[in-house]
Amino acid sequence: MTPRLSRRHLLRAASGAVLALPLLPSLRGSARADVTLAPKRFVTMYTPNGVIHEAWWPTNVASETSFDLNTSHAPLAPHKDRLLLLGGVQLKVATDANAPGGPHQRGIGGLFTNTKLGEGVFMDGCGRTAGWATGISVDQRVANVIGTMSPVPSLQLGVRATENDVQGRISYSGAGTPLPPLATPLDVYTAVFQNFLPPVGGSDQDAAKALLSQRKSVLDAVASEFAPLQARLSSQDKQTLDAHLSLIRDVERRLSLGVTNCDKPAQPGTLDPVSETDMPSIAEQQLDLLAIAFACDLTRVASFEISTALNRIRYPWVNSLGEGHTLSHQGSADPDAMAQLTARQVWHSSLLARLLDRLASITEGDGTVADNTLVMWGNEVSMGTTHSHDNMPFVLAGGRWAFRTGRYVQYTDNPGHGGLLVSVLNAMGVPDTAFGDPEYSSGPLSGLT
Amino acid sequence: MDVRPWGISVATLLTLSALGCDHTPAGTPGAAGSAGAPTTMPMSCEGPSPGPAPLHPLTRFQYDNAVRDLLGDATQPAQAFPPENEVDGYRTIAAANQANPRLVETYITAAEAVAGAAVQQRLNDVAPCATGSDPGQCGVDFIKSFGRRAFRRPLSDAEVAPLAGLFAAGSSQGYAQGIQLVIQAVLQSPQFLYRVDALKAPTVETGAVALSGYELAGRLSFALWGSLPDSALLDAADQGKLVTPADVEREARRMLSDARAHDVIRDFSEQWLQLSRLDGAARVGTDLGTDQLNTALRQSLVTFLDQTYLAGQGDFQQLFKSPTVWLDSTLAPLYGGAAASGFTAQTLPEPRAGILTQPALLTILSHSDQTAPVIRGVFVRERFLCLQVQPPPPNLNPVPPKLDPTATTRERFRQHTEQAACSGCHQLIDAVGFGFERYDQLGRYRATENGLDVDESGALIGTGDSSLDGPFSGAVDLAERLANSSMARDCLAKHWYTYTFGRLVTPEDSCSLAQVQRRFAGANGDLKELLVALTQSDSFLYRPAITGAP
Repeated sequence: MTPRLSRRHLLRAASGAVLALPLLPSLRGSARADVTLAPKRFVTMYTPNGVIHEAWWPTNVASETSFDLNTSHAPLAPHKDRLLLLGGVQLKVATDANAPGGPHQRGIGGLFTNTKLGEGVFMDGCGRTAGWATGISVDQRVANVIGTMSPVPSLQLGVRATENDVQGRISYSGAGTPLPPLATPLDVYTAVFQNFLPPVGGSDQDAAKALLSQRKSVLDAVASEFAPLQARLSSQDKQTLDAHLSLIRDVERRLSLGVTNCDKPAQPGTLDPVSETDMPSIAEQQLDLLAIAFACDLTRVASFEISTALNRIRYPWVNSLGEGHTLSHQGSADPDAMAQLTARQVWHSSLLARLLDRLASITEGDGTVADNTLVMWGNEVSMGTTHSHDNMPFVLAGGRWAFRTGRYVQYTDNPGHGGLLVSVLNAMGVPDTAFGDPEYSSGPLSGLT
Repeated sequence: MDVRPWGISVATLLTLSALGCDHTPAGTPGAAGSAGAPTTMPMSCEGPSPGPAPLHPLTRFQYDNAVRDLLGDATQPAQAFPPENEVDGYRTIAAANQANPRLVETYITAAEAVAGAAVQQRLNDVAPCATGSDPGQCGVDFIKSFGRRAFRRPLSDAEVAPLAGLFAAGSSQGYAQGIQLVIQAVLQSPQFLYRVDALKAPTVETGAVALSGYELAGRLSFALWGSLPDSALLDAADQGKLVTPADVEREARRMLSDARAHDVIRDFSEQWLQLSRLDGAARVGTDLGTDQLNTALRQSLVTFLDQTYLAGQGDFQQLFKSPTVWLDSTLAPLYGGAAASGFTAQTLPEPRAGILTQPALLTILSHSDQTAPVIRGVFVRERFLCLQVQPPPPNLNPVPPKLDPTATTRERFRQHTEQAACSGCHQLIDAVGFGFERYDQLGRYRATENGLDVDESGALIGTGDSSLDGPFSGAVDLAERLANSSMARDCLAKHWYTYTFGRLVTPEDSCSLAQVQRRFAGANGDLKELLVALTQSDSFLYRPAITGAP
């Protein structure tokens, strides 16, 4: 029998130093000495209201690989080699001004689904109305393929994304079925670890096993309650319950995956999901928990949403006391607004950098978890002053097994982002050749691999 | 650059502080959803014409109330559920709220927590089993009695069997364990988690089907209490005393005098006025902490509404005309009220009238550092008159004007209506919003701004109701106008209808909605009668037939 490497032994920073992550659990067993067997992970990341282009796109560009990161991306400098900045990509699916929704709504709805919005009554600040996006989002498409074998098929994380309408949703399990994000680190912790079974030999092992066994018998009984009710329902209601029942079956299946070889991290404290004071802590702790969930293979797919389209919130910790959406309309013509908006983007970048730092400090095979992770970062509009969907601020981070990173690729033919989503799917092992609305779909985006 | 039909350069529009506008004034036929009445004409209203009756998942509010009433558990476990997807501000909309993985997981953990606490802390209340009794028989009795309350009707044998099996398995570890597992399973069963108003009869169905007594009991309890039926409702259903509209009305009146009715008024009001927009929003002009201020404001407004509906002779006119503001020790200094412990009804020296001048609403309808005449105007037209405001042209860059210590807000915003391209719509919006200018971004009264007199003249234009249209002077005058408006009264009924039935009003709802609106009008806008009227509509008493073989 081949001796199994303890993953605990692999838990050192790439530099060789022991990593110092306060929340990081120890990892036991289940090491993947062969990095090709390591799971691939995927994150969609969303930030709102467009960007200040003058502070976003790289400077001193001599070639795809020779450029300086602009101010907005300064915190990502240590990870420059992992980045793929994409210029000139259009969010084509959101460009039809006669389709339902205002530009922010069409943008956030189409960003990860490549679909238009349905008809509905959601109203943007300008009186335009729309419904939900009309297709599955790319993270859920990936989760349906690679998320099935992890205890948590996917995580939706939201940082002050507490508007429960089309402007506050980036992840969809299907047409018109958005997935609400978890609002606090404690919510994330509960979601990730509630089915957690302590390691073999742990003192609470027996109790945890008893709980799981009990859950299974309860769920069996619950499943048996469905049939007598369904026999008397309309076909539409039957479908509603079929979907619910299949989710229960899925939970049952995942309970059997509940044994994991990580130690449980400390439980986070209580934070207020709508507090501007708590917002930075919520973001940071959520990402730390996500890193643990990835490292422990408790989940492989996540969406990470910072606030919502058209938000009116302030970022006092970076001295931005304007309202987000209002600032974005003032844009770079207003020096104060430009400074505030840039400071917000710097903070957004620092969050991506934090996640990459965490993942890069966890060894996996010959590399790190960061080497097995792909992040796709997008925004629902290009800039707030115009609501344009041209030249969208797309950034890929990681995914080096599939993409040539460390580059700034500028497209001149205005490609729609549907191709980018296909490229991302392919990178994640999903062999789709099209995604979303056929009118806006295409094969993979050129120049990435 | 996109081509726009009216040929104004983007540069011109960029300078506008506009929410934008369109050519078609809202309120003209075809452009506006007229108050209350659906735009599509319905089938004839002869004979019962109910709207659709799909399954509705319990909202978090309803789940929490249900476990409180079932098991005495006041821990509000559903607050850990994912939030509802909201439509038009309402969390009750079934079409937007299918189950999702996280929701199913939280159903599990909530059921475990509630069941565990029930047997550990209250076993003798929840599932008594006298000394000497057969625990097995106690278990079966419990399944039937508890199940009946949780499922809102007696269980079928097929529904009892899995629970009995679970009890038997669990009780090998003791009676309490058996009970605990049964509670867990019941709380995760669809019969509990969904409002089931349409159970197909074992015959071919056609047309409109009258609801059974049990279905009416559930409809009543969720509509008026946001919770499960009490034993009186279920007993009435058992005894065939919950059949006729008069039976339903009798129960509705009884239920409206119960404390639980307050919960529903509050839940509706939060969604109607979109009070979640207060959460975490920063406010300039006070040293109070954001959370402290917003929590108090929310409480103040909800208390006003609750009291107006259920205390004394609450009617629609009072909703718009009452000078009362509810203030506590946090808010009193800010609004010049009297110090008090807890919230007390106060009358402030300045003009105040009903909802429109409630500090919380005025704060929601403001930017952090200045008022928002456009947002206020849009809100009045859409939320209080059910008028549709036309969207602005594409590619407009609306941005509130910058603060200027030498001008009033009205002067700064007035650019909207001076631009020809925008005036068509903005006169409809801003003329309403400007009428609120004597209330600042926190809803405090101000006669002057930057040392200049505040002009509070406004106008309602193009509402489609000539008795409503015309100039007014300030929010109090506007409130008087709305208080006497059938359009505003019908609009409130429409909002209640949406909340109660959990769907946007469909063409199939038009007869029922009209019934509610007529009855509300006939009761001179009595707010309790509005709630009774909901229970007397076809959509409440009937459901469409379920097609297909029996």
